[in-house]
Amino acid sequence: MGEYFIVVLLDDYRMSKIRGTGLEEHIKYMFGGELRLLEVKVPEELKDRILQEFETARVDSRGAITDLPVAFMRELFNQIVEKKSLGPEVVEAVLQKVDEIKKAAEKESEYLPPPEID
Amino acid sequence: MSRFLIQRPLPHGGRLVERVITDKEAAKKMIRGCPSYDIKPTLHFETGVPVRNVYREIMSICYGFFSPVEGSMKQAEVERILKERRLLNEWIFPYPLVFDISEEDYRNLGVGPGDRLVLNLKGKPFAILDIEEVWRIEDPEELAHLTFGTPERNPEVVREPFNKKHPGWVIYRSLQPVVLAGKYTIINEPKLRQPFDRFWFPPRKSREEFERRGWRTVINHQTRNVPHVGHEFLMKCAAFTGDVEPCHGILVNAVIGVKRRGDYPDEAIVEGHEAVNKGGYIKPERHLPSIVLWDMRYGNPLESLLHGIIRQNMGCTHHMFGRDHAAVGEYYDKWATQILWTKGIPSYGFPAPPTDVPYGLDIRPQNMREFAYCPTCKEMAYSETCGHKREKLSGSFLRGMVAEGVQPPSIIMRPEVYKVIVKWWKHFGYPFCNEKYVVNKEKELEVDLEDL
Repeated sequence: MGEYFIVVLLDDYRMSKIRGTGLEEHIKYMFGGELRLLEVKVPEELKDRILQEFETARVDSRGAITDLPVAFMRELFNQIVEKKSLGPEVVEAVLQKVDEIKKAAEKESEYLPPPEID
Repeated sequence: MSRFLIQRPLPHGGRLVERVITDKEAAKKMIRGCPSYDIKPTLHFETGVPVRNVYREIMSICYGFFSPVEGSMKQAEVERILKERRLLNEWIFPYPLVFDISEEDYRNLGVGPGDRLVLNLKGKPFAILDIEEVWRIEDPEELAHLTFGTPERNPEVVREPFNKKHPGWVIYRSLQPVVLAGKYTIINEPKLRQPFDRFWFPPRKSREEFERRGWRTVINHQTRNVPHVGHEFLMKCAAFTGDVEPCHGILVNAVIGVKRRGDYPDEAIVEGHEAVNKGGYIKPERHLPSIVLWDMRYGNPLESLLHGIIRQNMGCTHHMFGRDHAAVGEYYDKWATQILWTKGIPSYGFPAPPTDVPYGLDIRPQNMREFAYCPTCKEMAYSETCGHKREKLSGSFLRGMVAEGVQPPSIIMRPEVYKVIVKWWKHFGYPFCNEKYVVNKEKELEVDLEDL
C-alpha cells in the first residue's frame, strides 16, 4: 500500500495562520529556504477517492497528488489549521465537503479572485 | 577584423519578402471591382472551437517573417514540403501554408486562377490574394499525418501517432477542402493593439533596431510562456555564446496566436518578459522582447525549423533550443529539435542539419539543457555542470502556486514578473486563458483596421 502526499504552499498569510499550532516543526523548505511548504499524508484509499472525484487530479513521479482545484487546496489548508494536523483526517474532512468544492471548482474556470499585492 | 567575427545573416531565400502597400489610394485602385471574402477562423473539426486564423499567416508572410514564402501554396509546393520540406524554389520550409475555404464559399465567390480576391478582416479590407491555382485537400486527416509524420515513417524522432489531442494536427485536420493558391499582399496595414504594438518588430524593423543598438550578434529565445528564473538563466547563459565575445543582444520572440486553456494570456507573456529587463535582471540595452503572429503547430523539430527561419529573417545570428522545444504531449523524442540541428533527421528530408544542407539556414543553433535551483551552490545551476541534487522548476508547479494566489519566491519568479501576471489576472478575472479569454481573443484578434 503506497503513501501519497499533497503539497501545501505557505506564504506569509498562511504562516501567520499556523503559528502556534505546533505544525511549524513540519515545515519543509525549497529553493534555499525561500519556499515553505507542508506535506499532507494521503493513504491509498483516500488517493483513489480524490482521483475519482476530481478528474484533473494526477499523481506525479514523487507520489504527490497535483492539479487539484484551488477550492480543494484552500479547504485543505483550512482543515489543517482547524485540526492542527497533517494526517489523513484532514483529507477526510475536505472530502466531506466534496459537493461544495466541486461547485466552487466549476466556477474556477470562469473566475479566480486575484491576490492583493503592492 | 577578426576572421572569427560572425556577421548578421541574409534573410532565408536571400531577400526579405515585403508585401505591404502603404499608399491607400494605390490600394483602393488595386481592389476596385474585385470580389471580397471575409476571413473566417479555422474551427476544430469536431468541437467547432477556433484553432487558427489565417490572418496571422498573411501578416507573417507579408511582413517577411516567413521569407521566402509569398502566399498560399500551390498543390505541387505542398506535396514537395510534405516529402522533402522544401519549397519549389528549393529553400527549406517545414509546413504547408494554405488559404482554405469551404465548397459553398467557393461556389458563391465564383473565382478562379487569374482573379484577385479582397480579403476582409473585422469588416475592413485587409489584403488581396492573387489567385494562381485552385486545388483541393482530398483527405485532411492524411494531410495532418503527412505534415507531422508517424512513428513508422519518422522513427528517428516520432514516438507516438498524432491524433486529435495534438493542436497542430487538429489545425491541418480541420482545414476546409478548397485551397486558393497565390500571393498575398496587405493593402490596409493593421494597427497592433496594446500591448502588442510596442513588441511589433517585423524583420526589416528588427534588423534596423539591431543596427541602431550595435548588435552584430543576437541570440533568440523562443517563448510562449511567462518567464521564470530558469528561463532567465537560460537566456543569460546561452547568450555567452557568440563569437569572440558573448552575443550583443537577446531577442525574445513570443509566438502570439490562438491559445489553449491553461496557457498564460499573451498580454502577460510579453509584458512578463519586458519586466525582466525593466527590473534590470537582463539590462534593456541587451534584451528585446518581440512578437510573431502564428498559430503554433507544436511540431517540435519542424517548429524549430520555422523558428530558425523566422529569427534568421529577423536578423538573429543564434537560436537557443531546449528540451521539448515547441512540443506538447509525448509525440516526439524530447530532444528531437536538438537531433535535427546537430545530426539532421533524414526521414524529414534532412540527411544533415538544416544549416548544412543546400538552400538551408545560416542561423546557428545553441542547444541547451536545463537550469534548476541548487541548494548546495545556492544558485540557479546548469544540469550539465552542477554535480549536486537540484530542485527543478516546473511550469505546472508554478502555475499551481499562482492559481492558489501564492506569490512565488523571487528565486524562481521575479516579483516584477509576478506583478504583471496579477495585473492581467485582475483585467481578465483569471490568471490563465480560460474559455472566455480564448473565445474573445479570436474575436478581437491582435489588430485593428482603419477604413481604407
